[in-house]
Amino acid sequence: MMEWEPQIWVRAAAFFGGGLCIGLGAIGAAIGEGYTASVANESMARNPSQSNVVLKDMLVGQAVAESAAIFALVVAMILLFSSFSNPSWLTAAAIIGAALSMGFGAIGAGIGSGFPAGEACRGTVRQPAVANKLMTNMLIGAAVCQTPSIFALVVSFILLYTDFSAMPVWPAWAALVGAGLATGLAAIGSGLGGGTTAQASVEGIARRPESASSVTVVMLLGQAVVQSPAIFGLLISFILLFGTYEANSSLAPAMALLSAGLCVGFGAIGPAIGGGEVGRNGVRWVARNPGAGQVITRIMLVGMAVSQSTVIYAMVISLVLIYVV
Amino acid sequence: MVFNLDVILMTWISIALLLILGIFSVRKKSLVPHSVQVLGELFVRQFASLTEDALDKELGRKYAPMITALFMFLLVSNWLGAIPHMSEPTRDLNTPLSLGFMGFVIAHYAGIKAKGFRGYAREYFQPFPFMMPLNLIGEIAKVISISFRLFGNIMGGSIIVLVVSHLIFSLILPPFLVAFFSLFIGTIQAFVFTMLTIVYIAVQVK
Repeated sequence: MMEWEPQIWVRAAAFFGGGLCIGLGAIGAAIGEGYTASVANESMARNPSQSNVVLKDMLVGQAVAESAAIFALVVAMILLFSSFSNPSWLTAAAIIGAALSMGFGAIGAGIGSGFPAGEACRGTVRQPAVANKLMTNMLIGAAVCQTPSIFALVVSFILLYTDFSAMPVWPAWAALVGAGLATGLAAIGSGLGGGTTAQASVEGIARRPESASSVTVVMLLGQAVVQSPAIFGLLISFILLFGTYEANSSLAPAMALLSAGLCVGFGAIGPAIGGGEVGRNGVRWVARNPGAGQVITRIMLVGMAVSQSTVIYAMVISLVLIYVV
Repeated sequence: MVFNLDVILMTWISIALLLILGIFSVRKKSLVPHSVQVLGELFVRQFASLTEDALDKELGRKYAPMITALFMFLLVSNWLGAIPHMSEPTRDLNTPLSLGFMGFVIAHYAGIKAKGFRGYAREYFQPFPFMMPLNLIGEIAKVISISFRLFGNIMGGSIIVLVVSHLIFSLILPPFLVAFFSLFIGTIQAFVFTMLTIVYIAVQVK
């Protein structure tokens, strides 16, 4: 008969989490890179004389898109190879939370960073003269697009390296898993939305290279606002991670904490994708019609703010679940 | 009360670096600028024009010095982590949060000044009166999102540099990681923070 000690459970959770983390984390980057490569093929077919430049754009863009999956790989490796000192039930919960956070968190950023990279390939064959400008803008856009996955990584590491042993197992395990889910799920939409915004900016610069600086500024603004849902997820994660809980062995308080994480996590996906759509057309038309830049930027920001009201509802419910119920 | 002396020290170091840059860029001013003067003029002109674009000319003039100072402080702060044995003051949540709160207060002060208190307060009851609590939360959420964005990026960057350097026994990669996460991401996030502060002011004024 095997003894079911916390030690064994922590090992099991680490193996399970490691698989989950890189399994989920591999989804996004692969889709994004595939998109980049497909657009690169199309671009080379249109203008084979530029194929060297397109190849360079494609590889650089894919390397940036891959970084989200690499974060997931790092977390998975840490889970598989590190030994956890004084293991308890909470350590197992923290491991699962960390794996979920980084696994889900890598999906959106991976797909999203593929968009600007693909568009940079397309733009390069249209306007070979501005290839460098496109590359710079693509790099900035894709790097900002990675931010949600960096948030997920922060939460993962806090979960892995903080000592939670002072907390009561019930209901704190739910808080730890919920913290991972909140940031991880919330990062999906923001990664995607940031990607579509960056894509439009690269396209816009390819069309009107002289508007490059204002397009980059509007893109950064749009991406920043698109990331707000992911930040609300991060906030709820922090509240869950550093809260104080009374020991309570009934199921209800634990479920409240878990669903607080789920609620803001799922609630953040839609507003961020919607905000990304706003950003796509906002940035595209700032590039095509620079005279109306101010009006377009203002409407874009207002539209994003309105579409984000739903994530604020989700955040309010999360806070109610944590503090009131 | 607890003072985080490390963060305070790092903040003072960035302030000192900025002061030195400021002193050297205005010393021996000439029509044909020397190199440090060019640097200073570049920052000031660039951010003055960005502020004037977003606000109008008069208000832009008024807020441009604050905006330029904000950007330069954030830039130096974020770059400080690239130097061994130094850490970014922005890696501690208190710094971004207080800068975000500063932007919030300035934006709302500008809003009240431009529209009068009645006009300012009416904004909260748009589009429907019962939306007031949500509008209030939305305003507070802006402070949270602007400061957590900076904090998360800088903190995340430094964690990645630390962990990846550790995993590969500090071979070859760390300088490139630092160049990307400290210098590149640090610059972008400083710019994003500054631009968002300008936009929050512009939204309140208009």
